[in-house]
Amino acid sequence: MRVILETKQRKKPFLPIEAETIIPRNFLKGPALTVFEGNKERLLSDLFWIFVEGTAVSPDKVEVILKGDTARIKRVGEYMDTGTIRIQGDIGMHCGNFMSGGVIEISGNADAWLGREMLGGSIICYGNAGHYCASGYRGEKHGMKGGRVEVMGDAGDFCAEYLTGGEVHIHGSCGDMAGVEMKGGQLIIEGDATRPCGNMKDGTCMIFGTVHHMLPTFEKIDTKKLPDRDGTVVVYKGDVANRGKGILMIKKPLVGETIS
Amino acid sequence: MTELLVKNACVIDPLNKILMEIMDIPVRDGRIVESVSAGADVIDARGCLTLPGGIDSHSHVCGTKVNFGRYMSPEDMRAGRTARRGKMHVTSGYYVPTTYGNSYRYSAMGYTTVLEGAMAPLEARHTHEEFTATPHQDMLANTLFDGNWAIMEAVRAKDIKKAAAIVAWTLSAVKGYSIKLTNPGGTEAWGWGQDLSSIHDMVPNFNVTPAEIITTMIAANELLGLPHSVHLHCNNLGKPGNYRTTLQTFDLVPDTNNGRQTLYATHVQFHAYGGTTWRDISSKADDIARAVNAKPQIVMDMGQIMFGRTMTMTADGPMEFNLYCLHHNKWSNHDVELETGSGIIPVLYSKKSLVNCVMWAIGLELALLTKNPYQCLLETDNPNGAPFVKYPEIIGLLMSKRYRDEECATLNGGTEQRTALSALDREMDWNEIAIMTRAGQAKALGIDAQGKGHFRTGAEADIAIYPIRCRDVDPTTEYRKVIEGFQKTMYTIKRGRVVARDGDVIVEGANSTFWVNPVVPDDLNVASDPEFVKKFEEYYTVRMGNYPVQDVYLPRGKCIRTEAAL
Repeated sequence: MRVILETKQRKKPFLPIEAETIIPRNFLKGPALTVFEGNKERLLSDLFWIFVEGTAVSPDKVEVILKGDTARIKRVGEYMDTGTIRIQGDIGMHCGNFMSGGVIEISGNADAWLGREMLGGSIICYGNAGHYCASGYRGEKHGMKGGRVEVMGDAGDFCAEYLTGGEVHIHGSCGDMAGVEMKGGQLIIEGDATRPCGNMKDGTCMIFGTVHHMLPTFEKIDTKKLPDRDGTVVVYKGDVANRGKGILMIKKPLVGETIS
Repeated sequence: MTELLVKNACVIDPLNKILMEIMDIPVRDGRIVESVSAGADVIDARGCLTLPGGIDSHSHVCGTKVNFGRYMSPEDMRAGRTARRGKMHVTSGYYVPTTYGNSYRYSAMGYTTVLEGAMAPLEARHTHEEFTATPHQDMLANTLFDGNWAIMEAVRAKDIKKAAAIVAWTLSAVKGYSIKLTNPGGTEAWGWGQDLSSIHDMVPNFNVTPAEIITTMIAANELLGLPHSVHLHCNNLGKPGNYRTTLQTFDLVPDTNNGRQTLYATHVQFHAYGGTTWRDISSKADDIARAVNAKPQIVMDMGQIMFGRTMTMTADGPMEFNLYCLHHNKWSNHDVELETGSGIIPVLYSKKSLVNCVMWAIGLELALLTKNPYQCLLETDNPNGAPFVKYPEIIGLLMSKRYRDEECATLNGGTEQRTALSALDREMDWNEIAIMTRAGQAKALGIDAQGKGHFRTGAEADIAIYPIRCRDVDPTTEYRKVIEGFQKTMYTIKRGRVVARDGDVIVEGANSTFWVNPVVPDDLNVASDPEFVKKFEEYYTVRMGNYPVQDVYLPRGKCIRTEAAL
């Protein structure tokens, strides 16, 4: 079953839509759902043209497609456990919060808090992701616990903060403080990063671009050749300031340093 | 003139020796009266359990440290969210909710009076502002004197009158209600990077001991004739083997007041540990309870912990640092100049942890082993042991041996060897629960004279009607019904006005703040003592003239004047 939601023209296109009801499971019984536009509760059909193709017997066979001006739709896929959501365009904040299964595909950019505290499933974003991509909510000690987030473009600050499990793969660069407070899982950054992995406890972070302002609290333990990759990486352990046992691998030499 | 008649109420009023009598309660203008006219509004209680409004005699709900707890736990604000509805403001939070959240949840449980457990005098304005925003409960503030420099100098000089005069001035300046000592001397020592391990250790720079502070403050409290006794959080909180300190402290307490206790020892569960380290911690609740049974001058509260996530907050800075060393979680310590300190750290009490299970059992043991329920009150030291919304569950545990056994079966296997809980058969009855949740508190806080905690003619019409028919319910087996019943009142009536119905608050509140103004002779007034004024201006960062809390902070303040026997 395929549900296509195409945004209608809105009087106030800048008002965010709180759409935590848009998850595949909810469409099994039809598209009679409500979302909040600002502080007003609206029927889904007030805001979207809805096209339903085919039927499904179980939620994993449901595919939701969002089209049009989707950049201000927030919390799409919150608590999603199965099925597929494809977003043809940009998506608003908190996409895939707490999701435990299924697939979210974003062809444009994602706003902040993409895949926050997610437990399973996978998110792939072909554009850039905002701040706090794959992180935990403020104050929460365990961020993303499982699943996979892949961003083809860049990610903002605090990418994978409090990462506890699962895999985060950023093909572009990250902003400031990527992987801080990491407690597990794997973070791969193909591009550059600034001040990565502060107060890291556990887990693995690999950075293949340039690291700016590397923290002094990482202990160099090894150099290593990675399978399927050219050249060698330097392996650091840390953050030793707080007895951390995380592994940080950096490909490009830090300023003033040569890889032996 | 507004009149109200509560009909067919099954009343338990321990202070007036009324036990499950079906009667009517007439109310006029917020007070209980003999009778009302035929035109009065009528509430039919349909034979349900009707108690005086609940009183919490030790809870941290307002003030700077509670607010800092909110500030450092944004993740807690995701829990307990309710939208604006009718007269209810939005609320959020579970263990450190917004002030309205606290107020509504207390109201839903039938609580109408709350004592804030610790107010630093210097930060009293904030506390009073939050009192105003906790609109459905009358509020009282324990005022911290544990590390007050002027007090400690008076203690060193063995000048009880001077100490009493300083207390009198401070209480009236900051609109406080009673004297609170939190780890007396210990927090001050912690300010200098040191800690005290017994009540006979010297506080650095002051050469006084906690024992001297405690005895002097008790004497000063009685000299001033304050309605409440000294409210003490003993030294060495949460350290294995600390029951000795607690017993030594209890031995210091004279029996000098006929009307009430001379010492209120708070959250005693945290002070009743045997053993030497966390590995061999055990319960010493029976030693403590035996001491309390033999000393009618002491009232304690349970400080029960309940399993789950919560936040500890106390003026006991060093203890919070020790907790941080265990948990490695976010934490804060704070020094209040010349007065006290505080600390905050989130915790998770888990059934897997033997230490937590022992703590849980100790609280219940204390309540069950104390013969006179007026001497052991039901509290969780909200939110340190658990948020106050867990009170109904504690009531269930106290009333039902079966419920306790069922809970014990889910705990860490070592619990039974370390505690005697499973050997205790006592099951509390309705009257004892009424004592432990309102009558005892009213008496201990000395607010029965203000018309709290009972239904005598002239009393404040704070009434809680619970959907429990106590003659039909057997709490020993139907404890679920008891818990549900105590979670939501049918009606909570505050000063003759229905404020909550079936758990929903239906009016804007208008609470009062009770504060004490002890009148002392002019020659003892510290405000005209040049030495006190000189030191104040020299050491404090505020001027003495700016220190007192202005009346505008207490829109509905109620002053209780006491005459000092000086």
